[in-house]
Amino acid sequence: MTAQSFGDSLKNKFGDKLLEVEAAGVDQLYVRIVPECLVEVADYLYNDEGCRFVINSGTDRREHNGKFLITHFFAQDEENLYIAVHAEVDGNDPRIDSITPVVPAANWSEREARDMVGVAPEGHPDPRRLVLADDWPEDLYPLRTDVEHGIKPESCPDVAMPLVEPPEGASVVPIGPYFPVLEEPAYFRIFVEGETVVGADYRGFYNHRGVEKLGCSVLTYNQIPFMAERICGICGFVHSCSYCQAVERAAGIEVPERAEYVRTIMLEVERVQSHLLWLGIAGHIIGFDTVLMQTWRMREPLMWLCERITGNRKTYGMNLIGGVRRDITADVHGDITDVLAKIEKEWRALYDAIPGDPTLMARLKGTGELPEEKARELAVAGPTARGSGVAIDVRVDHPYAAYDRLDVKKCVYDSCDNVARVLVRLDETLDAIDIIRQALDDMPDGPIMAEIGEEIPAGLEAMSAVEAPRGEVFHWVLTGEENRPERWRVRAPTYANLQAVPTMVTGDALADVPIDVGSFDPCFSCTERMEVTDLKSGIIRVYTQDEVLALRQSK
Amino acid sequence: MTFAINLGLALLIGPLLAGIVRKVVRARVHSRQGPPITQPFYDLLKLLGKEDLQSVPSLVVQYAPLVAFASVLVAALLTPMGMRAPLGQYGDMIVFAYFVTIAAVAVVMTGLACASPYSMIGAGREIMMHLVVEPVLIICLITAAIKAGSLLMWDMAAWNYLNGPAPSMVVTAVVLFLALQAQVGKLPFDIPEADQEIMGGPFIELSGPKLAMFQWAFFARQVVYASVLAVIFIPWGLGFAFPWNVGAHLLKVIVLIVLVGVIDVVNPRLRIDQAMSYFFWVIFVAIVAMALALIGV
Repeated sequence: MTAQSFGDSLKNKFGDKLLEVEAAGVDQLYVRIVPECLVEVADYLYNDEGCRFVINSGTDRREHNGKFLITHFFAQDEENLYIAVHAEVDGNDPRIDSITPVVPAANWSEREARDMVGVAPEGHPDPRRLVLADDWPEDLYPLRTDVEHGIKPESCPDVAMPLVEPPEGASVVPIGPYFPVLEEPAYFRIFVEGETVVGADYRGFYNHRGVEKLGCSVLTYNQIPFMAERICGICGFVHSCSYCQAVERAAGIEVPERAEYVRTIMLEVERVQSHLLWLGIAGHIIGFDTVLMQTWRMREPLMWLCERITGNRKTYGMNLIGGVRRDITADVHGDITDVLAKIEKEWRALYDAIPGDPTLMARLKGTGELPEEKARELAVAGPTARGSGVAIDVRVDHPYAAYDRLDVKKCVYDSCDNVARVLVRLDETLDAIDIIRQALDDMPDGPIMAEIGEEIPAGLEAMSAVEAPRGEVFHWVLTGEENRPERWRVRAPTYANLQAVPTMVTGDALADVPIDVGSFDPCFSCTERMEVTDLKSGIIRVYTQDEVLALRQSK
Repeated sequence: MTFAINLGLALLIGPLLAGIVRKVVRARVHSRQGPPITQPFYDLLKLLGKEDLQSVPSLVVQYAPLVAFASVLVAALLTPMGMRAPLGQYGDMIVFAYFVTIAAVAVVMTGLACASPYSMIGAGREIMMHLVVEPVLIICLITAAIKAGSLLMWDMAAWNYLNGPAPSMVVTAVVLFLALQAQVGKLPFDIPEADQEIMGGPFIELSGPKLAMFQWAFFARQVVYASVLAVIFIPWGLGFAFPWNVGAHLLKVIVLIVLVGVIDVVNPRLRIDQAMSYFFWVIFVAIVAMALALIGV
């Protein structure tokens, strides 16, 4: 079903409640609805059409039409279709019906829209604050256009997040805000009876960086890719790629084929290094440091290779709107194949050893269970979904870059536990190596950057998704004035996967909680997106930009 | 002189062996350089030189490290290490079992005295581990006692040396080796401490000299437990003239601790329930061996 025919069927179903239906290409559909019927439309998309909820977004458009724009994004993975449902609510009375009761996966994003632009979700089952700091003023909504970027409201000490009370007879074991095996701050309150977990509560977003605000108020179109890449410390390329694709699509920029292949290769290189890193951390979490040491040793040549190709071990800075800044030239092909051959050989040894290791399997089997229906309900992404038998993979379902020309396998397991998530990644790494080889062989000659003539007009929109190592990364861009987007919305896979933690840990032993959380490879920085302008207090030396550059070059 | 030998083995060879395992086994399997083998001594010295923080205002936390340290030392003096134990004539295997239990109780008390959920859980796990691991040791020693007709560890060793390997003694040796991993708190059985889960468990509030005393006690403990297994159940070399008998004993202890180190590095941590069911089987086999000894096999 194309976007056009899906739009027509929606029009037949809802009639006048749809104010506008617009198909962009065959795979993206934008509908504008009467806000009062949002729940009805969401219910239809989610329950009747089997769409997956992706994220929602709040945009302050009061300067244009006096309204707030609330957009819910859905994906129909079997039909290669993304659907954006726009609803405009009154700027003076910003309220909208909550869809969380019918679409449970919308829980966090509705709270986020309330925190950030102040559109209250009515009837939300858990209306606590999600993103903003506990002492942030009640009526200050940072993503509104009349709130300047960089404001610092006064902090007040005695404010705390309202906590969920543990069930009768259970006690609380805190994991976080700082915990040895979670590399980033996150606070899980684990409710236990003895050593058995009976529930969990989460407070996160300690490092919220206001990246979206920065993108919509300070940076320009071509600065954002570098910012976007810094959203994640491990797989940043997916974010810059996804953002660039969204802008390119909105503005109708044709990316040269060679650039698409370069992007594909770097995305898969990133997947290999990310899965290697993850396996090491997973081993460390269950006390198996040998796995940590060996996988990170295996990973190191790949990091050197990235430095050779892009100039950086990580955060490649390759993507720009219209293509990439560096080519993968013929003289590094040999290096790439050598490094990949070595990693493949060692990875195959792991591949054979891990499923046969009795102690390891004893720890992973049957723990962190996420049944398939729960995985669908919570709209988890990536290996977490594929380990629960949900066969979604953006590379196959919604091909981007050069993936439609390459042979990509979906690696799916259905035991729904930590073992499944390990096996998915074991398979995927070999598959990624295979994809890189295919792409190197097929790569056509040609330019790597499109010529962009005129300015990007305002008021255009596009969605773009990329399969990150951790799952689907989704970006939505609404173009604006002054050479920057009016709204740029980012959803990282961990945002969806974190919401599955209470389901995964309940019924497990306390000892399993760290590996349960580790099993979906949480990336809190992706979810929180802090601003990078923070300089340490006077005690620690602050380097100027020139000094950092000098240090960098003297390496 | 035997005092000096036993104390030296426990207090000096204990940390040194830990250093050797870290450098030669652990670091090598990790493809790392590893710290120098004397690193445990530097760690102990540094901790002993630090301020003695009173983070928990409790007499239990104040004295438990000393109690653990002292009880391990007494246990070391009760254990024959290649020759008669210095306190051998004053205490038999039952006294020995009491003293090693005191060390475990000191850990549990420390955990319970610190008001931290992690130390509480660690203390609970320590109790559970001790309740399944200690019976293995006692059953194994009783098996040897039945064979030797004496509760003194030196008599058991002498009997095994003179009368050769009986089937029940061989099975018991294997069982005791299976328990050694947990007795010295190594992976996959370092469950009470479990850094990645409960951040050191009972020891979470400890630092400086208190932590040093516990660590030193545990370094010494590995030598004590390995010695019991080595001297009674692997009696090779007991008849050598001094100092070769001590040398043979030391060699056996080194081999045992290196083996423990290898198992430690190639295993992830088990959950407490999995460790429990593992040790129920070990206890079962230990009892079978004891029954064999009773019917004279």
